[in-house]
Amino acid sequence: MAATPADASSSSSEAVVGGEKSNKMITLISSDGESFEATEEAAKMSVTIKHMIEDGCADDGIPLPNVPAKILSMVIEYCNKHAADADDTNKHVADPADADEDDDNNNNNASAGEKEDLKSFDASLVAVDQATLFDIILAANFLSIKGLLDLACQKVADDIKDKSVEEVREIFKIENDFTKEEEEAVRKENAWAFNE
Amino acid sequence: WRRRGAMGAGVSSFFFGAAAEAAPGAAGLGDLPELCAAQVLLRLDAPEICRLARLNHAFRGAAGADFVWEAKLPENYRHLIGYVEGGGEEGRRRRRRAGTKEIYARLSRPVSFDDGTKEFWLEKSKGRVCMALSSKALVITGIDDRRYWTHMPTTESRFQSVAYLQQIWWFEVVGELDFCFPVGTYSLYFRVHLGKFSKRFGRRVCSTEHVHGWNKKPVRFQLSTSDGQNALSQCYLDEPGSWVLYHAGDFVSTNPRQALKLKFSMAQIDCTHTKGGLCVDSVLVYPKGFQQEKVVTGAK
Repeated sequence: MAATPADASSSSSEAVVGGEKSNKMITLISSDGESFEATEEAAKMSVTIKHMIEDGCADDGIPLPNVPAKILSMVIEYCNKHAADADDTNKHVADPADADEDDDNNNNNASAGEKEDLKSFDASLVAVDQATLFDIILAANFLSIKGLLDLACQKVADDIKDKSVEEVREIFKIENDFTKEEEEAVRKENAWAFNE
Repeated sequence: WRRRGAMGAGVSSFFFGAAAEAAPGAAGLGDLPELCAAQVLLRLDAPEICRLARLNHAFRGAAGADFVWEAKLPENYRHLIGYVEGGGEEGRRRRRRAGTKEIYARLSRPVSFDDGTKEFWLEKSKGRVCMALSSKALVITGIDDRRYWTHMPTTESRFQSVAYLQQIWWFEVVGELDFCFPVGTYSLYFRVHLGKFSKRFGRRVCSTEHVHGWNKKPVRFQLSTSDGQNALSQCYLDEPGSWVLYHAGDFVSTNPRQALKLKFSMAQIDCTHTKGGLCVDSVLVYPKGFQQEKVVTGAK
């Protein structure tokens, strides 16, 4: 599945804060050998990949030995969507001199609609089974994609928030690797949070 | 963790260890490395974090991570921990070296200052500052005259003592506070009780026979800050037999590094009638919206 820039006019010659944007495509290779293409802009949402590009390591494609194809395609989808969003925001502020009041309102409405769009995209991206969600966290962490890590971790936090420790262990299949003494010690060292 | 991620592929096996060998899609909450678990805990409240520390070793470690607690502490926590005394030089050294979780735990227990007449603490779930000023921290007109006021020891006050008004014409309770509040909006209350209470045979007994004069004229509440915020309201005291928080007003702190000076008062100085039978416990400052007892807000 190739990821391509959603909006062709992003290559138009408007003055954009931050300098020129290249439409160079970067190849990312999943742990199971599948190749994916992403724009440099989208790929750079990953700080890890950004540094590799800047260090000149990206020319033959970037192998990501810890990210399986299924997860990598979701990550690229996220990056495309959010890179395009950042792009649109820049476009709206590009020519403040030209904007009259009507224009401004229209732009604001458009961004409000886009923000809703983005929110529901994000929500559906993490509405997946646990295993996938955790793989996304691991990938976002390894690739240093702050927004995606925030999103996925917040979802897990929301899911475990009101459950008892036993329930969380049961649902998420966590092995209790504490000895009885260790567990007692953990209880004691955290008791302060529950007094009063 | 960002630094580590940027070091690229070489770090990944250090990071993932066993998880890297697991078949794709086999990861679970229990396989999350400590740093990822910490990212999840970062988004939970303090009591939740402390609860989930019991899940497994990775979560226990994550629950102790400095950056998790640093995010929960108020921005001026280093200044606040300075109010904590005790332990002499050794204690000071220990506090300087303390991790953020330890600091959070300490600050969520009351920290007293100004000779024990005032104390503040962080409410546990979001780490916001709360404060209580005892009746002894307030300037009460006629407090030294036993015909009017007496100090009543009681366990119903966090300061173990309340000021009891028998009767007076000029009722005025004034207070001042100088403090660096973390950014936010706070509400200031006077905690009072109509009627005298005591324990008889283990049961709480309340007598309202000396309660009088409060239905004649309303009590005026005032709050002002050194940066020009003001609140003024009035209401009739009521609800004999229980503690009530009378809302004097709200204030906003915008700079945690600058001490905000607050002046507040509660008064009923119409000298055509006496009033009495009132216990004044304390003045409370809570983050706006965080109230625990019965609250009454007057009209402007």
